[in-house]
Amino acid sequence: MVSLILIIATSLFFTGIIIRTKSIASGRKGPGIFQPMKDIVKLFKKGSVYSRTTSIIFQIAPSFYFASILMAILCVPLGNYLGVISFQGDFILFAYLLAFGKFFMIISALDTGSSFEGMGASRESLFSMLAEPAFFILMGSFALLTGQTSFHGIFSTLHYGSHISYMLGILATFVFVIIAMIENSRMPIDDPKTHLELTMIHEVMILDNSGFDLGLILHATNLKFAMYGAIISNFFIGDLSLMYTIPIFFVVQISFAIAVGIFESFMARFRMSHNPQFIFILTSVSLLIFFGVLLLLERFAK
Amino acid sequence: MDSPILIGFAAVVLLLGIIGLMFTPQRLKPYLALGVIIIISLLTSLPAISAILGKPITEVFHLSGVFSEVTIKIDALSAWFILIINLTVINGTLFGIGYLKPYQHLKTNLAIHWVFLTLFHSSMLWVCMFEHGLAFLVAWEIMSLSSLVLVIFEYQKKDTLKAGVNYMIQMHVSVALLTIGFIWLYAVTGSFNFASLTGFFSTNGSFWLLVLLLAGFAIKAGFIPFHSWLPHAHPAAPSHVSGIMSGVIVKLGIYGILRVLSNIQSDLIIIGEVILAVSVITAIYGIANAAVKYDYKRMLAYCTIENIGIIGIGIGLGLMGIGFENKPLIILGFSGALLHTLNHSLFKSLLFFSAGSIYQQTHTRNMDRLGGLIKKMPQTAIFFLIGALAIGGLPPFNGFISEFIIYSGLVKGLTIGNLSQLILFVLSIAGLAIVGGMSLFTFTKSFGVIFTGSPRQAQEHSPKEVSLIMRIPQFIIIAVMLSIAIFPSFYFTSLFKIVTALFPSAFIGTPIEIPMITTISIIGLISLLFIIILASVFTLRWLLSHKRPTSVNSTWGCGYTGSIPKAQYTGLSFTRSFADILSFLTIEKKNYNKISKTDIFPKKRTFSSYYFDLLEHYVISPLTRGINHSMNYFQFIQNGKIQAYVLYGILFILLIFLCTIFNWI
Repeated sequence: MVSLILIIATSLFFTGIIIRTKSIASGRKGPGIFQPMKDIVKLFKKGSVYSRTTSIIFQIAPSFYFASILMAILCVPLGNYLGVISFQGDFILFAYLLAFGKFFMIISALDTGSSFEGMGASRESLFSMLAEPAFFILMGSFALLTGQTSFHGIFSTLHYGSHISYMLGILATFVFVIIAMIENSRMPIDDPKTHLELTMIHEVMILDNSGFDLGLILHATNLKFAMYGAIISNFFIGDLSLMYTIPIFFVVQISFAIAVGIFESFMARFRMSHNPQFIFILTSVSLLIFFGVLLLLERFAK
Repeated sequence: MDSPILIGFAAVVLLLGIIGLMFTPQRLKPYLALGVIIIISLLTSLPAISAILGKPITEVFHLSGVFSEVTIKIDALSAWFILIINLTVINGTLFGIGYLKPYQHLKTNLAIHWVFLTLFHSSMLWVCMFEHGLAFLVAWEIMSLSSLVLVIFEYQKKDTLKAGVNYMIQMHVSVALLTIGFIWLYAVTGSFNFASLTGFFSTNGSFWLLVLLLAGFAIKAGFIPFHSWLPHAHPAAPSHVSGIMSGVIVKLGIYGILRVLSNIQSDLIIIGEVILAVSVITAIYGIANAAVKYDYKRMLAYCTIENIGIIGIGIGLGLMGIGFENKPLIILGFSGALLHTLNHSLFKSLLFFSAGSIYQQTHTRNMDRLGGLIKKMPQTAIFFLIGALAIGGLPPFNGFISEFIIYSGLVKGLTIGNLSQLILFVLSIAGLAIVGGMSLFTFTKSFGVIFTGSPRQAQEHSPKEVSLIMRIPQFIIIAVMLSIAIFPSFYFTSLFKIVTALFPSAFIGTPIEIPMITTISIIGLISLLFIIILASVFTLRWLLSHKRPTSVNSTWGCGYTGSIPKAQYTGLSFTRSFADILSFLTIEKKNYNKISKTDIFPKKRTFSSYYFDLLEHYVISPLTRGINHSMNYFQFIQNGKIQAYVLYGILFILLIFLCTIFNWI
């Protein structure tokens, strides 16, 4: 329950920090960190324009996408404090819930009958498919390391002892950061600020959404960022008490947001054809983690 | 009433039904067939339910010759499959009544169809009942042949006939392997019964007989490289038949595999590892091919191969569990496999039925010619959508439950086993994850291209929603699917009983708790919670935004306001980049004539492209061509001269005569 409140709180300013960092890096003052949230609230109050090609799918998809992410957030624990939903194997549910939301966003993009949005849909489904094994290998490795199969069990029994375990923590953080970037369509996979439809992925899928629905989609992205930030912070929290947990949580979230901002300021997007190769790297890093776990457990000796 | 009497009564009903079907007027035939199928289903479901509840039935009939002791046995495993068969066939028949309405002019075809549909249903039930190997094979053969007749419903079409011949040949390779296997068994142990496999495997090396039987059943089930009949037979058959075939007939291959495996005593771990590895590859191969197909029925056929792979993963896992003597792993593996068998028969028949509705209204199987059907056929669109979500293993539907159980088994396997097995488990988890991702890709493509957007090609007749009798079975299926998703613990407890009954020797000793039962029931609640959250977010959106002004305009086209349906993404363009990444597996073939240098004035040209099946193209087809070629040398035997044929007869009698004199046989 603690994690749910904290994640929702973080989601209010997460993108704000990214935008602020980018502004400062490019020598501008930039908007306040709550500006993206104010924009979303404004969108919630607006009317909508619908394409005449669209059907009911286009209407329900944003709500379903938002609901699936809310549901996924319920699975995320905070250190020793359980998420709302916690059971053996909850990380499988987590991944499939996110896939559910994605399914609806993809078919809603195709629902507009636009060639641009079809293109975005094709790319989104391809890239998220490629990122899938990395997450599962990573969680499988940690399940092997800790002997636990739930998010809470894994994170609360994760202890850093040897050099290898630190390395594993760093690699896992790296994998989750990149998965968060892919899932949220940020650099280096996708550029949210591009103005050319042909080079977009996520942005082009929501070209025709407006008003309340657009607000839902944008806030879902904020929530998703905060959710991945929470998972990453769990790698550093362990079983500390709430007094230490909450500050660590916010420190990790804010540094994650600043890192994303800096990253996006100083890096160009990859060529679209190089994206699959880049995403495959994630799977190999996850395999590296798996072998690290095997080393740690001294399974090679047997 | 006594259970054996019920089964005998079902056979009588079938006989009377078939005779009745020959004499009823055409208008009433479908309803009579439906009635016969429902009565037989009731008669056989009762003993099946009592078998699952713990009262298996064994009845021995004494006949003559090799059939001197024919055992009919309904244990928990048979019962599970009998219930699946009954449910799927009843739904299929209901759908078929509506689906075949436009074919009223094909009187002979229809008359044959209904007779063989009832026979097909009963033969599948018999397959699950016969313990005696030869009787089993007879039922198996009746099943294959009657399904062949159903597949070639439109035998006037050349393509259909070709697919039928392909199916027939492959099924007979399967039967040949199984027959050899059972005769071998009889020669060694003196009994045709499945149970005598235990004796065979414990005294003789199990390897070759096991390979024979498993290969025979794997052809039916569609494991690679034996899968190549599926993508031809399913599209050719009428949709309700495809639904039944994909839903249950391939599952009987799984049934056979489980029957054989339940008798193995040794080498369980290595057999489990092989099955697990083959299954993961089958799943990936199936879904990768499904993703690039634009014939939606063929796409569904490949998707069946994928799901057979997932079922196989569960079976392999369970076998390894027996080897490790780890009871939770046995339960998770086998019950995951069996639950996925049920789940797949539900959502695959749902998908084939909705695909049939599309075909009936549009007369094309090429999804790239369709589009925007959700506005014309809203209910069919919702059926297909629910099927697509469920088959992708997405919550809150039933596919998630069985995939979750299999995932849990794989994760549980990580705590046992040596290094190589650990690596196998982790790669299987990754494989299952990528299969999930590809299935998301495949079904967003299919649903998106068929149902959303605007029509890519003008239809001759405007499609409209299909008749009620075609929709009823789909509502029934969705209801059953939701019952699995919301009350999984009920099904899981039944499966626990089935698995413990199937492998009694593995569960000797202290009775165990049902593993993960609390988790499974939590997932049921979560499914419900998810449905509530989905509904409440949508309601909230409606409450907050329905009073705001909305307007309707055209889709954003960079300023161009006209509509260009042809510029929409098609199935082919959607999969383009996917196919490029997997270009070693999904190879594209383009058919066109190059423009030559002397071609000054352009003429009308055609271009077509398709993705071919790697294994079929490079392994199966060359093999069959080779066999064909070598068979040419024996053509002189069939020379059309009656004298020669009489001579063959005499030679044969002479051979038998000599054999008896010299005591060779």
